[in-house]
Amino acid sequence: MSELLKFFVKYSSWFLFALYVAASCALLFSGNPYQHHVYLTSANTVSSGIYGTANNVSSYFSLREINEDLQRRNSDLELEIYNLKETIRGYREQIYSDTMSVDSALQRYHFIIAHVINNSINHSHNYITIQKGRLDGVEPEMGVMDQNGIVGIVNVVGDHTARLISVLNPYLRLSCKVKGENQVGSLVWDGRDPGEAILEELPKHAKFVKGDTVVTSGFSTVFPEGVPIGTILSGVRDREDNFYTLRVKLFTDFSTLSTVRVIRDHMKDELTAVEKEPEIKNIE
Amino acid sequence: MSKTTIQFIILSIVLVLAQVVVFNHIYLFNVAVPMVFIYVIIRLPITLAINWVLTVSFFLGLTVDIFSDTYGMNALSCTVLAMLRRPVLRLYVPREEDLTRPEPSMQSLGTAVYLKYLLTMTLLYCMLIFTIEAFTFFNPLQLLLRIIFSTLLSMALMVGVDSLMTPRSEKRL
Repeated sequence: MSELLKFFVKYSSWFLFALYVAASCALLFSGNPYQHHVYLTSANTVSSGIYGTANNVSSYFSLREINEDLQRRNSDLELEIYNLKETIRGYREQIYSDTMSVDSALQRYHFIIAHVINNSINHSHNYITIQKGRLDGVEPEMGVMDQNGIVGIVNVVGDHTARLISVLNPYLRLSCKVKGENQVGSLVWDGRDPGEAILEELPKHAKFVKGDTVVTSGFSTVFPEGVPIGTILSGVRDREDNFYTLRVKLFTDFSTLSTVRVIRDHMKDELTAVEKEPEIKNIE
Repeated sequence: MSKTTIQFIILSIVLVLAQVVVFNHIYLFNVAVPMVFIYVIIRLPITLAINWVLTVSFFLGLTVDIFSDTYGMNALSCTVLAMLRRPVLRLYVPREEDLTRPEPSMQSLGTAVYLKYLLTMTLLYCMLIFTIEAFTFFNPLQLLLRIIFSTLLSMALMVGVDSLMTPRSEKRL
């Protein structure tokens, strides 16, 4: 017995080493980021507190660029509003008698504005932490965008903070299409450049030219249709199968993220319920 | 608790904070990421029991993991680094009794030996962490560039931390 004890004491460092390696590997290969516990992510109280404090200082750094982006986006929107107003006026004149103004409460989407307090671009799986949580209406699987384009999807939610899976993370696959076309492909990051991503599985009959805009397809409740993603840099057709693989330059600058919008879809519950409904078979 | 213990606790807190708030957001030329918090592991006294070195390293790595959502990557690399610390030191200092002080530093090892030790440890760490990351995307050229440039950047920063750590009066010796 004492010999055994001596053996354990003598090699205790190796046992401890094995234990720690096993613990880290268990974390490392835990796989699915949706199962991560909130205390072991950057959305926990301590780390979000520290990141919040640091962000109070660093959020002033790139205000000029952000302001320029906002101005540009604002002018685009103003232009769009102007065009839409013109269209509406045309319709209104056509069917004046039936016109009824739509209540704003019937809007399908709603934005929750949130500050980014932590963000990485240099890992193989990048995550973003924001300073809005469950109490502000943020829930897992909500889409997130900023003034330029898509940012990611909410993944772990704390009371006042939430963690997003960034577009720069291979766990995120996003259904998207070339603007103006209907063929749908999926967007995934290949880990090379934080400014670029890959659009895969685009059917070979899809038409596009270099510089075309890629937008979300709207085939899920996460993002509405037409949220800008990026522009096409180059395209190759896979030899083996009938799909295109395109390199996309992302609109969103992940190194200077500051304020983002979490997209709340009011029809989400309804759509999920409908999709979960079991198929009804014909009984003859 | 002795003065050294308190010094190391403060050093760990400061370096982890610096790592997660500042250095994790640096990504020079899309290749170089500075890893500065491993300075704590490098500087732990040689006389400290290996079990303590392992424990300190594991929790240090885990803390950085939690902050940067890397989930086990730093914890694993730090644990392995802690195990390799003594063999690396043996490589350059065959007789530990020659050391004037238990902590590996420029004064106790001499500048050349200390820099070699620092470089080897940093290189080992960068190799570990980026190889673990490469399980996701395997790109040999990028992996090599990331290891080399991250090592150089981390090393430069750690030499800077070193000069901040050394009181001026001792430097004249």
